[in-house]
Amino acid sequence: MQQTRNAAGLYRPEFERDSCGFGLIAQMDNRPSHWLVQTSIDALARLTHRGAIAADGKSGDGCGLLMRKPDAFLRQAAAGAGIKLGEHYGVGMVFLNRDPAMAEAARAELQAELERQGLAVAGWRAVPVNPDACGEESRESLPDIVQIFVNSPAGMLPEVFERHLFVARRRASQRIQARDPVYYAPSLSSRLISYKGLVMPANLPVFYPDLGDERLESSICLFHQRFSTNTLPQWRLAQPFRYLAHNGEINTIGGNRNWAEARSYTFSSRLLPDMAEIRPLVNMTGSDSSSLDNMLEVLVMGGMDLFRAMRLLIPPAWQNVEHMDPDLRAFYEYNSMHLEPWDGPAGIVLTDGRYAGCVLDRNGLRPARYVITEDRHITIASEIGVYDYAPEQVVAKGRMKPGEMLAVDVETGRLLTPADIDNDLKSRHPYRHWLRGNVQRLRSLYREEPEGELLAPDSLDTYQKLFGVTFEERDQVLRVLAEAGQEAVGSMGDDTPFAVLSARPRSVYDYFRQQFAQVTNPPIDPLREAVVMSLETCLGAECNLFEENPSYAPRLTANSPVLTEGRYRALLANPDGRYPHRIVDLNYPVDEGLQVAIERICAEAVAAAREGVVLLVLSDCPIAQDRLPIHALLATGAVHHRLVRDGLRCDINLVVHTATARDPHHIAALLGYGATLVHPYLAYDLLRDLLRSGEIVNRDYPTLVENYRKGISKGLYKIISKMGISTINSYRGAQLFEIVGLGDEVVDLCFKDTTSRIQGAGFGDLEADQAELARRAWKRRLPIEPGGLLKYMHGGEYHAYNPDVVQTLQQAVASGDYADYRTFAQLVNERPVATLRDLLRLKPATQPIPLDEVESIETILPRFDSAGMSLGALSPEAHETLAEAMNRLGGRSNSGEGGEDPARYGTVKMSKIKQVASGRFGVTPAYLVNAEVLQIKVAQGAKPGEGGQLPGDKVDATIARLRFSRPGVALISPPPHHDIYSIEDLAQLIFDLKQVNPQALVSVKLVAEAGVGTIAAGVAKAYADLITISGYDGGTGASPLTSVKYAGSPWELGLSETHQTLRRNNLRDKVRLQTDGGLKTGLDVVKAAILGAESFGFGTGPMVALGCKYLRICHLNNCATGVATQNKVLRLNHYRGTADKVANYFKFIAREVRELMASLGVRRFEELIGRTELLESLPGATDKHRGLDLAPILSDAGLAADRPRFCLEPRNVPFDRGELAERMVRDCLPAITAKAGGEFSYALKNIHRSIGARLSGEIARRHGDLGMESAPIKLRLTGTAGQSFGVWNAGGLHLYLEGDANDYVGKGMAGGKLVIHPPANSRFDGHRTPIIGNTCLYGATGGTLYAAGTAGERFAVRNSGVLAVVEGVGDHGCEYMTGGVVVVLGETGVNFGAGMTGGFAFVLDEHNAFVDRYNHELIDIHRIATENMEPQRNYLLALIEDYVAETGSVWGQAILDDFRYYASRTWLVKPKAAELESLLETLREAA
Amino acid sequence: MSKAKPLLFVDVPRQDPNKKPARERVVEFGEIYGQFNPQSAATQAGRCLHCGNPYCEWKCPVHNYIPNWLQLIAEGNLFEAAEMSHRTNSLPEVCGRVCPQDRLCEGDCTLNDGFGAVTIGAVEKYITDEALKAGWRPDLSAVTPTGKRVAIVGAGPAGLGCADILARNGVKPVVFDRYSQIGGLLTFGIPPFKLEKEVIQTRREIMEGMGVEFRLGVEIGRDLAFQQLLDQYDAVFLGMGTYTFMKGGFPGEGLSGVHDALPYLISNVNRLLGLERDPHEFVDMQNQRVVVLGGGDTAMDCNRTAIRQGAASVTCAYRRDEANMPGSRREVANAKEEGVRFLWNRQPIEIVGDERVEGVKVCATRLGAADARGRRTPEVVPGSEEIIPADRVIIAFGFQPSPAPWFADFGIAVDDRGRVRATPVSARKFQTANPKVFAGGDMVRGSDLVVTAIFEGREAAEGILDYLEV
Ligand SMILES: Cc1cc2nc3c(=O)[nH]c(=O)nc-3n(C[C@H](O)[C@H](O)[C@H](O)COP(=O)(O)O)c2cc1C
Ligand code: SF4
Ligand code: SF4
Ligand code: F3S
Repeated sequence: MQQTRNAAGLYRPEFERDSCGFGLIAQMDNRPSHWLVQTSIDALARLTHRGAIAADGKSGDGCGLLMRKPDAFLRQAAAGAGIKLGEHYGVGMVFLNRDPAMAEAARAELQAELERQGLAVAGWRAVPVNPDACGEESRESLPDIVQIFVNSPAGMLPEVFERHLFVARRRASQRIQARDPVYYAPSLSSRLISYKGLVMPANLPVFYPDLGDERLESSICLFHQRFSTNTLPQWRLAQPFRYLAHNGEINTIGGNRNWAEARSYTFSSRLLPDMAEIRPLVNMTGSDSSSLDNMLEVLVMGGMDLFRAMRLLIPPAWQNVEHMDPDLRAFYEYNSMHLEPWDGPAGIVLTDGRYAGCVLDRNGLRPARYVITEDRHITIASEIGVYDYAPEQVVAKGRMKPGEMLAVDVETGRLLTPADIDNDLKSRHPYRHWLRGNVQRLRSLYREEPEGELLAPDSLDTYQKLFGVTFEERDQVLRVLAEAGQEAVGSMGDDTPFAVLSARPRSVYDYFRQQFAQVTNPPIDPLREAVVMSLETCLGAECNLFEENPSYAPRLTANSPVLTEGRYRALLANPDGRYPHRIVDLNYPVDEGLQVAIERICAEAVAAAREGVVLLVLSDCPIAQDRLPIHALLATGAVHHRLVRDGLRCDINLVVHTATARDPHHIAALLGYGATLVHPYLAYDLLRDLLRSGEIVNRDYPTLVENYRKGISKGLYKIISKMGISTINSYRGAQLFEIVGLGDEVVDLCFKDTTSRIQGAGFGDLEADQAELARRAWKRRLPIEPGGLLKYMHGGEYHAYNPDVVQTLQQAVASGDYADYRTFAQLVNERPVATLRDLLRLKPATQPIPLDEVESIETILPRFDSAGMSLGALSPEAHETLAEAMNRLGGRSNSGEGGEDPARYGTVKMSKIKQVASGRFGVTPAYLVNAEVLQIKVAQGAKPGEGGQLPGDKVDATIARLRFSRPGVALISPPPHHDIYSIEDLAQLIFDLKQVNPQALVSVKLVAEAGVGTIAAGVAKAYADLITISGYDGGTGASPLTSVKYAGSPWELGLSETHQTLRRNNLRDKVRLQTDGGLKTGLDVVKAAILGAESFGFGTGPMVALGCKYLRICHLNNCATGVATQNKVLRLNHYRGTADKVANYFKFIAREVRELMASLGVRRFEELIGRTELLESLPGATDKHRGLDLAPILSDAGLAADRPRFCLEPRNVPFDRGELAERMVRDCLPAITAKAGGEFSYALKNIHRSIGARLSGEIARRHGDLGMESAPIKLRLTGTAGQSFGVWNAGGLHLYLEGDANDYVGKGMAGGKLVIHPPANSRFDGHRTPIIGNTCLYGATGGTLYAAGTAGERFAVRNSGVLAVVEGVGDHGCEYMTGGVVVVLGETGVNFGAGMTGGFAFVLDEHNAFVDRYNHELIDIHRIATENMEPQRNYLLALIEDYVAETGSVWGQAILDDFRYYASRTWLVKPKAAELESLLETLREAA
Repeated sequence: MSKAKPLLFVDVPRQDPNKKPARERVVEFGEIYGQFNPQSAATQAGRCLHCGNPYCEWKCPVHNYIPNWLQLIAEGNLFEAAEMSHRTNSLPEVCGRVCPQDRLCEGDCTLNDGFGAVTIGAVEKYITDEALKAGWRPDLSAVTPTGKRVAIVGAGPAGLGCADILARNGVKPVVFDRYSQIGGLLTFGIPPFKLEKEVIQTRREIMEGMGVEFRLGVEIGRDLAFQQLLDQYDAVFLGMGTYTFMKGGFPGEGLSGVHDALPYLISNVNRLLGLERDPHEFVDMQNQRVVVLGGGDTAMDCNRTAIRQGAASVTCAYRRDEANMPGSRREVANAKEEGVRFLWNRQPIEIVGDERVEGVKVCATRLGAADARGRRTPEVVPGSEEIIPADRVIIAFGFQPSPAPWFADFGIAVDDRGRVRATPVSARKFQTANPKVFAGGDMVRGSDLVVTAIFEGREAAEGILDYLEV
């Protein structure tokens, strides 16, 4: 075992994530005021719920202001400090080390650099601060805060002055920070100044008395409140930064940073001639937001204006948006080749002192609302209502839409709308004209897919053997891709050893675990939101970003990074002579050695680049018996990093021509490490061979090629989308993987900067594996291997759930005999090394104790939960048996994401854990109150970053009813919770759940991944009570095969990292930690406890106890054991599971745990938790095992032993006590109890969140979801409602709001009524004004929503029963809707009706734009003006009449007044599968 | 993942190939099972669930890739199926015919629990039979000869399996057998109604086409000294089976009319194959009341052979109950159909008669408690003696190893039961105490199955290849 560099455990600083509330206030006519500053601070305080509070209860994660320079105040302050300011001056905010020597050195250095730039330092001012405003933790890290004043030389232009300040600051920082980590300059500018700190928003002006000084006036102020996933905060990471404040996360930050480094050599600007002096252009450490700020600053300082710079970094979706302006598209297309997007959720407010603006990411994953008041103040913020304005003062309200940019120019008083900005950008140059004739599509360069030269069968066999192709892969991966045009689906988890643990040669790709988005950023739904995604790939040498001219236009484009033979040949034919190529042979002489060979090909690549080669082809074909291939991934990564390091990467496109890549994961890995294009030539040869052998029939080769490529494309979309990335260009080089099992020598040469925490195989091991394959490959007589990776095969890879294990377990639970269990346990506990924990051994105690001194089985059993397994995946019988068994044992069963039949509530068959997943199936108030634990399923081990999947064959009438969906229609849940796009969104959902069921504990289920510990810290700060860390190997009912195989990491890493990180952050005592994934025996439990778990989830194990024989056909609805099927014959005649069998299993485990505790000398289970000294690592059986270093897993992270190691708090109570909600309950409870109804009135502010949830919970607990409908409680409300207005609304609760509301209105509502209308004295145009926010009606199952205004993005996503009327919606309206009626009396955004399988909608389309807006895949649209549509028209008329009566909508009345006209402009939208006649029935029933 | 309809196994029951009616079967010695046609083979193969854990493959001693070739057959890909089938089994057409599938692959098939197991054996037979008819042959064109030669003693399934692997790896196998035809017990022990001898003849042609050389009618140790094999060959494999038949150990076994199972069966095969040297060697059960003692497959073969010879009656007595018989349930069922009468829980005490057998005295038994291995031992019921009238008695209690006297001369070690020591997990699989000598099959395991003999022969061949550094 080797020692890593990090003896401090598994945590890494770069794992930190953050998100937040943000905003800006600007006086459009540049009239500064202290009111504006004060109001910004107040607004920050109104966004406290979007920030986080440290364990000390007072330190914030950071908040701050960035304002246009308050000239008058600063001059007075300078004078007070004896500083003489010139006509033009700059001011800097500087954090200095509290150590005087360090501080003095930093001052000197900064001053020297300024003087070197020809600038005069006028003086320093100590900023008044009040440390009492800090919490304990932020006091510890509090720097010495000073301001530096710099005078501008006479005659120097302001922009030049700014640039000199910039260069001086950058150079000084590089020098100072090398020895002084505290030093930081938040701002240094003649236009802007920053005040920020690790305090609560309310304490910001207390900490900085300047901010409370009425003389401090500004006309632009940005503000930001941070929620970090780590409570070891740094002052420098508080926002805003120097140009922007960012809410969200740049998923592609690794790639963006590396590409920025690579481009720093091509960057050239007259204005910044010495780029070298300020390299690296962006910080390589610290937060993604700070890097984005760096990049923006570099672009602006280099001469690019704010708007173009921002649009290049955060572009809208343009590749697949059909209706986009051609000139605007040309602008984006022209620039896309020269800079890849910084991709991820982003809400950004920015200012350069003159312009103040806001930008949203292409998919609208962050909220931003604005209001313009009569006094010409514009306020843009995460929420509406962040300060109190009178309704009659409002001139306009709006929201930022996906991909939009809005700005105000305070020097001209002009509001720059998105259209204004777009028109300006697209008109700067004739981009479309430039591109014309200069953009060639690769496909157009050849006519037909060439048959090519078919490899002779025995030669093909050699390739297959050399590159590890098996019969299994041919049949179950490649054949499916080629026949079906998509990946094969499988069942259950990956029960094979990790690549490094395997005793067999495994693909290098198997050492790479795909990263995925959970909590702090959302995955994207590639099925329903493909409109924002693109695989389009561009070829040619990159050019200088700072110059735009037609000579930079020529390029080759392809619609996917996967080449076919035809495209490959066309490419190498060097069209136009612009793309000279060089082929680098990856096969090296055996005696050269792998590492030397890699270094040699890197040198060859550099030489080629210097010679002007544009296409560098890395090829492992042809093969030779006296050579070994360098694995394409090793070569790609090494060459990419070398070219970046040598400043040549942007001159080269990397084309990888390889036999190693065959499935989407392989190709994604190559792209992730820098490949531009991949030609998986062996895959195509195999398709031909499948035709030759007759394994594929009735297809021709070109069709197979296209299907295969389509299947790979779908797989690539899935892989990038699980990390929340929209474009392959952003994914390229982003290295979004964790390496598990490669030694540092390999990582350092080939995969620099990739997380790799436990070492493993070195070059020698990889070479030996390849040599072993080669030995077999060149023996012509040997056939290709049969396989055994996906399913058990004798002589193939070890499987943890092999037939012996399954049979012995089933025997034991049937007999109830512990001796039989011991046989099973021995097979598991003494197996060949298959998991990391198999390399960890319990240290024998010096003093074992008698068994009767160990705590009882009865006290251990409640630590066991059955893991979430949905009803749907499981048969009702299996689902109920599990619940009954767990309830009898004192543990808890988990409903999984399929809902639960209310008939089970209150019985022994009820699941005590109710799961809330992205599909929100069955989630109603009654469901939520019938739970002890509410589990938010963020991710699942078998497919993290993706949604749950239930094939249509398994959706029978019962399942459809319980899930509020359609029988026979496949259910693929959205990858993200649409109400969790960020950590503070999760905090909101947790708050929502605690409101509806205050007695319940809230659990969050995550999957092990590098950085899951910091995510868990954020989850704990979001007030979760329990956290589950699932391993990659957990089971599932249905999942794409590469999702099972390649995403997620072992729970040994995730659990240990989480335990370490929670302890570091003083959060461990607040949450209960659980782990699941492959747990089978008491030894597994004890090891997991030692690594930090106090609770344990079992999925597959108890299923096997019920009779599952691990057939892996759960997805086919034909499980012969009746466990995972909805087929009645199989369930009734062949299901043999009993609660006794499951109970036997868990009792056996508990008994084994007791025995192990006795052997360890441990009396109570708590004495095990987190005690890593009880484990020691073993050398293992292979050289690869011996290369592993498990010390980081066993590390105590340098923390004192007396820090809590397990949960001590009964629950994690939110900072926000919800006083108004409690008051509502006190007022209404008698009426609820008596089922009497009534009317109550309250005033709301944006801080009042989840209004109605608390009441709904009380209603549901007593009367079910709808039992109160006959005697409704009406609340008359005024003002601005905070997030989640009407969440989980129960029948009988009617909420009337005069005002507006933020996000998630009516989320999960089951009944009742929500009516929202603008104040009576409103001056704005209601039907063009947002009245509710994003993701309203998410997962709602019933009730009515009338909102007299427009809604934001994803309105009615997963709606299955609500009747809704609004006057406009944003993008993705009615996404994945399965029931209900939605009436949109105005414009929709794009992608309306994506994945809509039930219900229907009416859309008023005045300007005939809807045809370009809706998603054509599953819905069709009908005019309703024709005669045969009278029932539909009548229904709509009556509905609008009721709507107008309830809301007083002016627009609604106008429609009624001229209904014939508006009806003629209205579409009826319905699922293609639905009949118009059946809709009529629904209409009649609804009316 | 299954390509066929997922619920086919529910909609379509298990359907074996047509079995000849007992009325027809009892008057001839031909195989009783018909053959699938391509459609029925495809349909039955399509019932397979393609289990994540293929229990069939796990239980099969040669670990056939069963779901894979079932899928190929379900899709009509016969030659690929034949190729796949031979990856793991040297004699698939034989195993398909003689394996006790009901306690091996089919017994453990997931569908055997309430649905009717997949007809694995019948499909396995179908694959090779039909592929060979259609012209498929093993393709050794890619094999480079190594110049090495290995002597194989015994042309039974163990020896044939070994020869197959050696040939496929460029090593010349020379197979010696004292019989005039290959197959060992396949030819001379197993009756033709289970395994027609043309099947073995075809396999001989195939293997000769693969370069296997047979030297028949040569008994090592009598016609040819073992030392010569050691001298002339690079390695030697022993697959000589077990031939010392077990006696009952009760009075009367020496009476006239009492026969041992194997000589009886062999005499019948010799008669049928025209290999009989003297008509007196033939044992005829026509019109005789026959009692067979034993419960294994050998006993079944004797039962059913006697039936076909026209015995007046055939009674099989076994000391345990039906559930605990070691033989294949399917064989018992076939025997019942053909008229065999079974007496369970009967233990023979004495064969009674005066010079010639007149009956068998048995007493009743009951099963006692299960031992550590789960096997229940019969206990005698006092006062339950009875005599079963009989003209002929066949002793079918199984076989023990008959180690050659010259083993010791060459350092080939045996255990206390006469089995040659050659372990599957040694550095070189199935190597004996003499490093140049390898062994497998019944002589290593004790009396067992064709498929286990094949497996050990193939594994031993791998050991030999390692030994020869091929
Ligand atoms: C049939 C089946 C269905 C599952 N359904 C869900 C689900 O609905 N929600 C969820 O979070 N996890 C689900 N899982 C994953 C389990 O909750 C759990 O994480 C995993 O099974 C634990 O690993 P194990 O199967 O190795 O014990 C499912 C697992 C199986 C086997
Ligand atoms: S060899 Fe025997 S056990 Fe194996 S599959 Fe064939 S019939 Fe079944
Ligand atoms: S056990 Fe039966 S159903 Fe399963 S793979 Fe084998 S033959 Fe098919
Ligand atoms: S793996 Fe699935 S198909 Fe049935 S036997 Fe087990 S539930």
